[in-house]
Amino acid sequence: MVTWASPPPEIMVAMPAATIEDAASRLAALLTRAGGALGDGERHDLVFEPEIVALPLERRAAPGDVWAVDGGQTVVADARCVQLAVTRTARVRWRDGSSALEEEGELRAHLLGCGEERAALRTLGVPVRADAAVDLNLLRDWGEWEAVSRCVAEADPGAVVLVDGDLQPDWRIPPSLLAELLEVADDRGVVIAGVTKHSSLAQGGAPLLGRLEREAEDRFGPRGMWWARLATTRPDSGPELVVLAARLDPDARFSFRVDLPAGIDHAAALGALAGLCDDAAFPGYPYPLSVADRLAACPGWLRADVWSELEASFDRAGVPVDVVERAFTDRHRLMERS
Amino acid sequence: MSATDGPGALVSATDGPGALVSATDGPVGGPGHVRGRLFGRNVLEGAFRAAPDEDLFIGELLVGEDDATGRRYLFRVVDVTYGSEHREPGWAERVAGTLLADDARDEEGAHPLHEQARRTYRVASCSCLGYLAPPEVPGTAATEFRKPKSLPTQFSRVVAPGPEDFAFLASRMGDLPVGRLRSGETVVDFPVGIPGTALSSHVGIFATTGMGKSNLMRVLAAGAMRANGRYGLLIVDPHGEYRSALARHPWAALALRTYAARSLPNTTALRISLAELNVDDLRTAYEWSRPQEEALFELERHYGTDGLGWMSAFATLDDLPGFRDVELNGRLALNTLQVVHRRARRIVGLGCIATDPNVSVGRAVVRDLLDGKVVLIDVSGLGSTEEVLVASYLTRRVLEEWQGAYLDEPDRHERMPVVAVVLEEAQRVLGANKDRESNVFPRVAREGRKFNVGLCAITQQPKLLDDELLSQFNTFFILGLADEKDRNILRSSAKQDISALGKEIQTLMPGECLIAGLAAPFAMPAKVDLYDAVLRDTPRPPEARSSPAPNVSALVD
Repeated sequence: MVTWASPPPEIMVAMPAATIEDAASRLAALLTRAGGALGDGERHDLVFEPEIVALPLERRAAPGDVWAVDGGQTVVADARCVQLAVTRTARVRWRDGSSALEEEGELRAHLLGCGEERAALRTLGVPVRADAAVDLNLLRDWGEWEAVSRCVAEADPGAVVLVDGDLQPDWRIPPSLLAELLEVADDRGVVIAGVTKHSSLAQGGAPLLGRLEREAEDRFGPRGMWWARLATTRPDSGPELVVLAARLDPDARFSFRVDLPAGIDHAAALGALAGLCDDAAFPGYPYPLSVADRLAACPGWLRADVWSELEASFDRAGVPVDVVERAFTDRHRLMERS
Repeated sequence: MSATDGPGALVSATDGPGALVSATDGPVGGPGHVRGRLFGRNVLEGAFRAAPDEDLFIGELLVGEDDATGRRYLFRVVDVTYGSEHREPGWAERVAGTLLADDARDEEGAHPLHEQARRTYRVASCSCLGYLAPPEVPGTAATEFRKPKSLPTQFSRVVAPGPEDFAFLASRMGDLPVGRLRSGETVVDFPVGIPGTALSSHVGIFATTGMGKSNLMRVLAAGAMRANGRYGLLIVDPHGEYRSALARHPWAALALRTYAARSLPNTTALRISLAELNVDDLRTAYEWSRPQEEALFELERHYGTDGLGWMSAFATLDDLPGFRDVELNGRLALNTLQVVHRRARRIVGLGCIATDPNVSVGRAVVRDLLDGKVVLIDVSGLGSTEEVLVASYLTRRVLEEWQGAYLDEPDRHERMPVVAVVLEEAQRVLGANKDRESNVFPRVAREGRKFNVGLCAITQQPKLLDDELLSQFNTFFILGLADEKDRNILRSSAKQDISALGKEIQTLMPGECLIAGLAAPFAMPAKVDLYDAVLRDTPRPPEARSSPAPNVSALVD
């Protein structure tokens, strides 16, 4: 028989309920407050500019050779203690205005949980500490950086390699890896750029880019293209990177965070990037990245396909159907349905 | 069909029946060009994906090539929509908005839609018409066409049909040519028509003004004239629009006889004896109240003459009240009698009405029809009701002749041509409130088939026809119809399922039609030949020989 310890008396005291109205008031204050400290909720190695100044951006000719990388993932079977997930990394090569290469990327299946993920680390050769926690994000991220590495190796001099997100590998991957990659890219005359669709950069608790967009619109008008230098990575945290914000098309609905290596002409690089952002469907976002995004997606039918393959394997291995059902039936959904 | 048949005409390399001819100036996808890939939906409905610039037309006939079974599925495009690889809601609208904003700024091209050919596509919805089973002897043409009962293999190629895909239709197109097969905007060099025997099971021609009813009727009449007496057509022409056109037909001297209610060159005077008309003809042509009908029967009884012979005497009466009081013993109301009297005077005064019972063209008309001629009754100049009166009488005569032969002289009936009565504005006599025992036209619609007497009803408003009578019509020529109710009534009455063809009917251009009948396995899209072109292509009839050829004369007594 389990005996529950009595809770401390202070917990038993009724606390004021957190109401939606209270939360909304606080959120409204954060969103409308002027000024405040700059920060990034997801990483703490950024040194922000003392003053952020938006500058006009001039669109330039798009680079002749552009690569785009994006990764996708989905959990196929979830027994909670152990999961089967798949990842894939798409690569797109955009040359002279059309797709020269579109790779969906091979599907990689990973077992996660109960220590099974270690096998994935070994198989993929992920350079992390032996005792590092392993999850799906790490595995997908590693696949993406592998793909970026291949793009750099195959790119023409003067090419740009676009990465979906910032230029910061998963925290478990050693920073030296990115440093080496940037060095190779630099040697080959290739620029690696990270484009983040929805960044966590903030000022005083409010989204920084939204605030910048409003200010820039006042200054440059509703169809102005602009860029601003926001921050630099701390030298001790890895290779030096510059974090920028840019509105890359006169009709872009949003500006994006763009990470670039230090030591290059950022206005020129962003201008060239803007040359890739004229697609009528996604003005302001690099078109090759949108293609990679579409290729890497793991939609429901893909999950269903993998599940079918899994079932066939179970069948061949003689796993009773009820064992599979008991392990993988989504009980939350089952309960909600009943 | 030759390559010189007209500007923009394009004939496939086979240059035989079934070759594709473009109605427009552009080339058409010939056999082998993959128009799309099939991905849905069920046995009776198909859906295929096509390139975003694939020019697909409603009504287009296409073939799904099932490599797995060797079958060739025939599809008809019933709708075409846009498709996109992007699943986000509002994606297409957003793109259009961006492009529109560029247009507004006079900056067209500022935002190209990169790789549009890969990101967007078209989806054609089709009805499956059936399939051609693979030939039993490999290498020969597949000729057996079956109704759809199975799914073609998913993702089968969709291609333009070749001549061999229509070969099975050749034997079903009958001996009354109408035009050529139409596939969307493309005219296929494949003659289509109806069997003349279908005339007896009634033909409807439905179209709004200017869509080609008259031309179609002329073309049908031209076919009947060349049928060597197999078919007789009685055309009642209220507008005088057929006389000069039909007279130009090379076979007119042999196969056309024109009667006219007024004095016109090269026509026979239309004279109908009052004695041959009867009260039912009057009841069909005019609206009568119950007392007025009673008056008609009373007068018929009083005078005791054949048919409406009494009308000549009645129309000349000066003292109508005295006649009522003395001759009829006051049995009829005076105002009722006055109405009948007024109408009688009008009828008797018509130029085409003869009081002499020996003067009538009725017998001659029947004789011409028995000879398998096209008989044109030009009633231009007559009022609408008088026109119906004439049509009613002649139709009754024809029905009586054919019915009599069927009942009493079956051998003769076997040899008699199939005959059809052509009625313009048919809703006047086939409307829902016109279906009375006295009306000969509903009777023909119901019973005529048995006696080889049919109706060819022409109307702009099929919705005004009686549903039950319309269901007796086995062949529909549907040309452009603007009114949705008209289209709906035809969709529900046609002998083939044309429920999915609403948009096709709605978008028919002048001269384009759908032929729904029992002969073909599906509603045939056609481009009706221009009558002038038919005349151009019609050879003169062979010269009649005055005496048997020498080698035959020996056998002739």
